[in-house]
Amino acid sequence: MGELGSDDAAGNTYSLRPSLQRRFKSSTVKECIHAILKEKLANVQYIPEDMPQLTTSLSETIKDRLKEEGFDRYKMVVQVVIGEQRGEGVNMGARCFWDADTDSYAHDVFMNDSLFCVVAAFGCYYY
Amino acid sequence: MEDDKKRTKEDTWKSEELRKHLRASQPGSQNEDQKHKEKKLHKEKSVHDTGTHKHEHRDRGKSKDRMRERFKSSERDRDKMRERERGKEHHREGGQERHKDKHRESSLQKERYSIPKDKDRDSNRERDRMHTRHEMKQTDIQNNLKLFEGKDKEHHRRRESRHHFEEEKIRSEERERRRHTEKKDDGGKKSIDKLLAYQVDESEHVHKLQEDQELDKERERRHREKKEHSARPGKERSHKHYEKDWEEKYKSKRSEMRSSHGDREGQPAEANERLKSRENERKKRDLESSGYKKEDKIQEEMSHQHVSRTVKDNGKLIEKEEKDTNQEDKKDTSIYNSDMGSDNFSANYEDDFEDYEDDFDDDDEGNSDEEGDAEENPREIPLSRTSEIEEIQRAISAENDRVGTSLPKKTENEKEKPTMERQYPSVRNSFCGILMDFQMANQRQSSRIMASKQKKRCSELLPLIDLDFSVSFPLLDLPPVNEYDMYIRNYGKMNTKQAYVQCNEDNLERDIQTEEVETLEKWTQHPGEGALVSGGSMDSQDMPANGTLTPKIDSQRLANFLQSACQVIAVLLEEDQVATEPGWKLRSQQTSLSISDSCFQLNTNQPFLHARRISCLCGSQVQRQTLLSVHGLPEKAGVDLLNRKSIICVWNIWQPSSPQKVLICDSEVVCCCFSPSKTPLVFAGTVDGSLLVWDLREDSRMHPHVMMSENDWAFRVPTFSTDGILNSVNHTSPILAVEPVSTSLYTDHNYGLSSLSYQEEMSVPPFQIASMDENGILNMWVVVELQKVDLAGSQTDLGLIPGGKVKLVHSSTMQLSNSLFPKDVRQRLPQTLVVKFLPSNPNHFIVGTNIGLVGHGTRDDFKVFPKLFRPQESGLRSISINAIDFSPFGKPLFLVGCSDGSIRLHQMTSEHPLMQWNDSTNGQAIIALQWALTRPAVFFVLDASSNIYIWDLLENDLLPVAKQTFPSENIVSMTLLGEPEKTNGLLGIVLAKESGQIDIQYIKKKWALPQPDESEKLHLVLLQAL
Repeated sequence: MGELGSDDAAGNTYSLRPSLQRRFKSSTVKECIHAILKEKLANVQYIPEDMPQLTTSLSETIKDRLKEEGFDRYKMVVQVVIGEQRGEGVNMGARCFWDADTDSYAHDVFMNDSLFCVVAAFGCYYY
Repeated sequence: MEDDKKRTKEDTWKSEELRKHLRASQPGSQNEDQKHKEKKLHKEKSVHDTGTHKHEHRDRGKSKDRMRERFKSSERDRDKMRERERGKEHHREGGQERHKDKHRESSLQKERYSIPKDKDRDSNRERDRMHTRHEMKQTDIQNNLKLFEGKDKEHHRRRESRHHFEEEKIRSEERERRRHTEKKDDGGKKSIDKLLAYQVDESEHVHKLQEDQELDKERERRHREKKEHSARPGKERSHKHYEKDWEEKYKSKRSEMRSSHGDREGQPAEANERLKSRENERKKRDLESSGYKKEDKIQEEMSHQHVSRTVKDNGKLIEKEEKDTNQEDKKDTSIYNSDMGSDNFSANYEDDFEDYEDDFDDDDEGNSDEEGDAEENPREIPLSRTSEIEEIQRAISAENDRVGTSLPKKTENEKEKPTMERQYPSVRNSFCGILMDFQMANQRQSSRIMASKQKKRCSELLPLIDLDFSVSFPLLDLPPVNEYDMYIRNYGKMNTKQAYVQCNEDNLERDIQTEEVETLEKWTQHPGEGALVSGGSMDSQDMPANGTLTPKIDSQRLANFLQSACQVIAVLLEEDQVATEPGWKLRSQQTSLSISDSCFQLNTNQPFLHARRISCLCGSQVQRQTLLSVHGLPEKAGVDLLNRKSIICVWNIWQPSSPQKVLICDSEVVCCCFSPSKTPLVFAGTVDGSLLVWDLREDSRMHPHVMMSENDWAFRVPTFSTDGILNSVNHTSPILAVEPVSTSLYTDHNYGLSSLSYQEEMSVPPFQIASMDENGILNMWVVVELQKVDLAGSQTDLGLIPGGKVKLVHSSTMQLSNSLFPKDVRQRLPQTLVVKFLPSNPNHFIVGTNIGLVGHGTRDDFKVFPKLFRPQESGLRSISINAIDFSPFGKPLFLVGCSDGSIRLHQMTSEHPLMQWNDSTNGQAIIALQWALTRPAVFFVLDASSNIYIWDLLENDLLPVAKQTFPSENIVSMTLLGEPEKTNGLLGIVLAKESGQIDIQYIKKKWALPQPDESEKLHLVLLQAL
């Protein structure tokens, strides 16, 4: 499920903060996630055997997509959770130990009749 | 040598195998490495045999232990010691170089001191600080070393340029190895470092052992044992022993060092002091072991040579190592630390390290030698041996690499968790049998460099960055769906929702035990505007009855009732009014008249009655309370409407305040009368000869109204008038008398009236009216009531008022003067004045004439007897008959009043009167004469001089019993009102005065109250008169 992002070799710069353009923007990331989820999960039914493969592929897709966004010196962590809709209550949360100035996260939820999918993308800045 | 070498090689391999699980391969391999080196050196030595003294000295420190191990001879060891001692002494004489070496030694010592310190310290910072300090101290050392290395390199270069191909090979190999170590293989360097340390440690350890006396003893014993063992290859065991010993010793020393570390800053001096003391001790030891030294001098020298080489190489490595960042130093130290804590052989390292220190003491010369002779060494290696050397060097490098492979891992681990050194040995164990992979090693090297850089960066940046715990982000909160929704979602239709459930809960029945109240709506309207005056909802069962009842209401009867009721009420109101108005003459007013008890006036003080003479009074025979008064034409013009009209007032004596009705006509009325029935009709004859009829039932709206003194008076015009019509039969002269003719009226007097009173009011019984004029013509009129009212006026009945209902139809005409009177009388041209019909038989009538005779006739001209009623005196005199009155009690008697004042009492059967009173009025003409209505024997007479005489025949048949004179006023007319049916004795006499007043006097009771058997008494009186 979890997927580590790119490990870009940080240059020998001493900038401690990302520039405004390169900053991890939750809204754009959320849009990306949303678009991908919509595209990939539109008419997907929950089949337990397929889900592991689907989650990994989703996380890869989203990670690659986020890399294109140009968040330099960011380490991306994309977590994808897919569960079946059976009427049970589900509660998910995340907690991070990070530098709130630079690091951020975005998440989006996709639901259809048979499944729900929660994607959380965390961006951690390389100093 | 060759054998030795091989054997040792085998031994070392064997030992390594044996110890495989006990300890990591490193020490063993190092040992092997060292052995190789030694072998090589031995070979060199044996071949060239050129070991200079310096050379020996230089290599001595390093090689001695290995030599000792290799040859397994403690004696030789001792020799070596001794030799080293010697070498040391030799070196001490040296100047600059030695000093340099010392410096290096001290720095190394410091380095060593820092190790435990590091171990003690937990915080990285402090360690860093320590390192920096250390670094600073080392800088000059490093410089020296660099210099050293530079020389070394230079010397190598020289060698390379100058000399053998083989040596070049070796050099290249070495360089290659160096490159390896430089580039990536920190571990390799470290391992070499360790190796050096190990060697040094070992050597030093020996000295240390000798330092402590108790331990020395043990050691001596062990050496002895070693000597025993030297024949066999039990090197490992001895080695083990050594190790154990060293460990113990090291521990003790360690504590010593720690204690020294507590001083921190004062370390260098202390270290120097200690070094000196150690050197002293070593000298002692050397002295002790001098015996051994001598024996193995050659070998020692060989080993020296070897060691010198290794030291040289290692020294280079060390230099390189020291050129690296102090981080690596730190790593090394940490490795040492871990080594110390973990295993036996780690202790070896430490021991080696200590030895190393000692070695440096020894190396004073060695280093100095290196400057001069390092270049010679390679040169001395023969070409034939190059292959061997190559082999050895390859092995060394391989070993280095192997160590390198294991160490980077260690360092990496340490980087990640620097405080957890314990894990390291096991990791190192796991790398025992790994194949050599340069590529991987390269990568690791580079990655480690990277890591170190990053770590450095990290440590620099970390203080600048604040990490914090974020709030926990809710990623998904999916509440549980209840069962029903789930069901609907799964089985119900999509996009539909069940909104309502119908059950039978609301299907309740209610009942009320009380009975419903019956209600009915009704309405009524008064006055009714139509036949229907009330109604209501038609759904009720009672309604049909109501509907039929409603039209049955007799509105006519109701109207009559209301009319009479209104009269009664009006009378009562009038009485109240009279009682409250004292200014007006009341009925109860006491009269001054002797004949009456009381009197009252009719209110003739009406505007339309002013200045009118009353010509006639007439009372009704049916309605005794009603009275007619005829008022003549006024003397001067009054109200326009009534200017030329005469008025007849209809009074109700119970309402004297005003006339009930006012009738008007165009000509002067001479006589009038009421209808004989209950029907309120008034007939009047005028001077014009016309006969008028008023129907009092007519609505007042049909007649003209005049507002007079705040009262609305309706002046009724005649309903029917014969004026202008029926000219052939109508009177042409003034009508003198109008008399109702009723066939059944007086047939039975007593009961006739009562029966009449019960007659139907509205249905007019057929009756006739007789009118007689001055010419003696008697007309009979039939009163006809029209069933149909024509408001537009009748075409045929021209005398009828529009809307009138009563008309007169001429019945017959009689010429009285011709038929009634005989010829002789007819000659006297008698003039008829009064006509009266016999109440008991209306067919008979009597007519008064102006010659004193009273004719007797019938309507059908039958012959009657007597034809004439004559006075007692014979002869015809011109005496006009003014009044004739039939007795009201049914007796065939009538009174005749004559103008000469005589009064006659006739009976119908005789021509002459029963009684005749000639002078009762003193010759005054009789104006009016009337029988009392309540008493048969009493009658009233009014003469022209306004005297009223009361005659009571039972009391006095000659003279009137009472006479009342009205001196003030002339009485023009008189009539009687009374109710003979009642026995209350009320008898009123109505007197019309010339002034227009009408007084009503109630006659005293003695003349009014009927007396018993009065009729019989009267009959007797009359018989007597016959």
